[in-house]
Amino acid sequence: MITLGHMLTLSAVLFALSVAGIFINRRNVLLLLMCIELLLLSANFNFVAFSRYLGLVDGEVFVFFILTVAAAESAIGLAILVVLFRERRSINVEDLNTLRG
Amino acid sequence: MNPNLLLAIPMLPLAAAIIAGLGGRLIGRTASALLAIAGVAGACLLSVQVLSALLHGAASYNATVYTWLLSDGVNMQVGFLIDRLSALMMVVVTFVSLCVHVYTIGYMHDDDGFQRFFAYIALFTFAMLMLVMSNNFLQLFFGWEAVGVVSYLLIGFWYTRPSAIFANLKAFLVNRVGDFGFLLGIAGVLYYTGSLDYQVAFDQAPQIATHTLHIAGTAAGWPAITVICICLFIGAMGKSAQVPLHVWLPDSMEGPTPISALIHAATMVTAGIFMVARMSPLFEQSDTALSFVLVIGATTALFMGFLGIVNNDIKRVVAYSTLSQLGYMTVALGASAYSVAIFHLMTHAFFKALLFLAAGAVIIAMHHEQDMRKMGGLRHRMPVTYWTSLIGALALIGTPFFSGFYSKDALIEAVHASHRWGSGYAYFCVTAGVFVTAFYTFRMIFMTFHGESRLDHHAEEHFHDVGWNMKGPLVALAIPSLLIGYFTVGPELFGGYFGSSIRVLDANDVVAEVGRDFHGAASFAEHSVLHLPLWLALLGVLSAWHFVLRRPQQATAIQERFGWLYRLLVNKYYFDWFNENVLARASRGLGLALWKGGDQAVIDGVIVDGSAGAVGWIAGRVRLIQSGFLYSYAFWMIVGLVLILGWLLFAGAGPAAQS
Amino acid sequence: MLVAVLFYTFATILVVAGVGVIISRNPVHAALSLVLCFLTSAVLWLLIEAEFLALVLVLVYVGAVMVLFLFVVMMLDINVEELKRGFTRYAWLGWLVTAIVVAEIVGVIVQRRLGLDVTRGAVPLPADYSNATELGTALFTRYAYAVELAAVLLLVAIIAAISLTLRRRRGLKLQDISAQVAVRASDRVRLVKMKAEPRS
Repeated sequence: MITLGHMLTLSAVLFALSVAGIFINRRNVLLLLMCIELLLLSANFNFVAFSRYLGLVDGEVFVFFILTVAAAESAIGLAILVVLFRERRSINVEDLNTLRG
Repeated sequence: MNPNLLLAIPMLPLAAAIIAGLGGRLIGRTASALLAIAGVAGACLLSVQVLSALLHGAASYNATVYTWLLSDGVNMQVGFLIDRLSALMMVVVTFVSLCVHVYTIGYMHDDDGFQRFFAYIALFTFAMLMLVMSNNFLQLFFGWEAVGVVSYLLIGFWYTRPSAIFANLKAFLVNRVGDFGFLLGIAGVLYYTGSLDYQVAFDQAPQIATHTLHIAGTAAGWPAITVICICLFIGAMGKSAQVPLHVWLPDSMEGPTPISALIHAATMVTAGIFMVARMSPLFEQSDTALSFVLVIGATTALFMGFLGIVNNDIKRVVAYSTLSQLGYMTVALGASAYSVAIFHLMTHAFFKALLFLAAGAVIIAMHHEQDMRKMGGLRHRMPVTYWTSLIGALALIGTPFFSGFYSKDALIEAVHASHRWGSGYAYFCVTAGVFVTAFYTFRMIFMTFHGESRLDHHAEEHFHDVGWNMKGPLVALAIPSLLIGYFTVGPELFGGYFGSSIRVLDANDVVAEVGRDFHGAASFAEHSVLHLPLWLALLGVLSAWHFVLRRPQQATAIQERFGWLYRLLVNKYYFDWFNENVLARASRGLGLALWKGGDQAVIDGVIVDGSAGAVGWIAGRVRLIQSGFLYSYAFWMIVGLVLILGWLLFAGAGPAAQS
Repeated sequence: MLVAVLFYTFATILVVAGVGVIISRNPVHAALSLVLCFLTSAVLWLLIEAEFLALVLVLVYVGAVMVLFLFVVMMLDINVEELKRGFTRYAWLGWLVTAIVVAEIVGVIVQRRLGLDVTRGAVPLPADYSNATELGTALFTRYAYAVELAAVLLLVAIIAAISLTLRRRRGLKLQDISAQVAVRASDRVRLVKMKAEPRS
């Protein structure tokens, strides 16, 4: 039987992995975006799990919206990435510090 | 009494002042002058009408005209208290003002600031009327400051002269010292009675007397009423030029002479006297404060008179005489003889304004020469001026039947009758002052009008007697100077004229004591033969004649023999020296220290620049966190998350665990 | 029992694929690992009877988003070597943080229990239960407004993505329809009258 604890732990591991990914791949914007997708997936895991174990459908509705936002985010993020690459011939994060204070 | 009519009294001069001041160039010189004169004449007529109504039994008027604001239960309003005291002052103020207005046409005839001058004196009349007619402390203070402002403007009327600017600044600063005390006194009244209204404060005066004030937490308490009265009197000391705040008045002679007559002799400087008389219910509660008043007044009366002896500037002699006479009035206040003080104020207003205007006429005739050593023998060349100033001088020294005689003699008698602490000293001062007054007054008359002509070439060339628009006011003032004492002494002092507007405790009522020996004005004058002052005055006149006309070389000899004394007097007891070199230097030093140390170093350096610098420094450090790198932002977010989770885990108030 | 076996199997695959995402040197490998993550997640969601979302995950993420990722990865000429520099320098920090976060989250779940019984399984759903119906009902009734907003958001995202990447190249020949429609005969053809020249 899959308990709530199982799902939450799995989601925590996924979340931690994505966080680690952000550190490890700190130069590559593309991988950073992927890590964010992974992070959102772990959040979705929590929503689905709670939704099911509480017997409420609303959590799944939120997953639906998160998917929407994530899709929009990755579309725009990738678009920016493409434009960026055209300008700089690079997706190295360390080159992208124009906003540095 | 009709409130609208009362309102019109101050408003007429105000309207004239506004029109002449703002539209002076537009309507021209003559129109401005006529307008101002019309305004003041209207006010004068109405004042006379008010006074006569009161004399014929009308009840005094005390009501609010306009409520300015109500703050925390304190009513700030414009109101009029018209009783016999204020009505008398109104008549004196408007009458002298009217004379001065007319006189000004001649005096300022060639001046560019003609309209401006009329605007100022009309404005002054308004301010003085507001002061006199007030029924509350706030309006009193307004009038008090307003006359101060106009005085400032008028002393510096010829603002291109550095000495005038110095003098008006000095007058302003010295008056600030007095006004500070005055404001504290008003605050004290407000603190104890919760009201700015005269009536409330006066009715509660005995209750205030029971309070004790602990200043700055000192154990020894001060009677509250004494503190309040002394504070109020400090205001009067500034405005009425009592020692040691007298230093501005001689310098104020830098202003045009009509102003010296109106503001610095007849009206504004007597505001302090009027104020103390008005506050008599308060002052009566404190013997200490009255003794203070007595001593200050006596000192001023005698020692300022001495200074008149050594001065050669005709206006300054009259100015020192004014100081001395103000001291007399103050002495009367200190002796609880308020009605005598007001009586002397009234007679003095007439004869001193007369003397000033006469001096002004001489100055104009001499083409702006003020040094008496360059005058002499003017008796025949300007007879009207001579005779009128002689009347003024005789009134001033207290010749029987002249107005000054009645007020001064009653005053000396009242001081003599007083048993207050300091009254012995005061009696000595005022009696000796009679001799001094007679001496310097007739020294001035003799030097100016008698003897040989000492006119220099320039003055001789431009000499011309003044016209009737200047002589007219002299005559108009000479009549009351001569007569008013004789006719009013009986009713005003001993006939209960002031009624309830001046309250004196029975134990202090020296005027009543003097009144017991009073059997009509004529016999009062006859009795003076038996009194010391008359003989002292005569002695003064004779010594003046001796030293000025008969043996001038003896005066020089005495001057050389007592060089130190002469220097002391010429340097005005070193008051100015002390003020400029000690007080002013110390305050400049303090100001400099506060500027450099307080303002520049602490406020600018530490607080203003320092806080900005600190923010900048912190921002400079914090800026390093803003690396612009995504991963560092992510890192700090994660750090925050770890901390929140740790808090939830170990300490926080998350949802309780389900059992 | 079978469910537990399936859960552990797919959970293991998921974690391994997740590790693959973050440590792959090659972005293409990382993207493919992420696809695997999504697929196993979909399986796990099916296991806890969230069928509709599982399918949406496969369709939207695997079918659209990840394909987009792959496109971009391949479109861009990425210097992988340069991006790998400093990879190991902060790796230890990443793993440390991962360990702490996992420990803390698990600690919170175990200790605080979030006010729930975390050891409980989900209530089995009846046989005729339709997840899609339930979700659809919720979406188009209570959340109708939010759905519309999400739709607008997607539209904005589409427009934004297009306008960001749109590139006007110079020297490109384009049709200007409105100019074509507005053209008049006189602009194109001019009739000239001239005398015939005599044959020489």
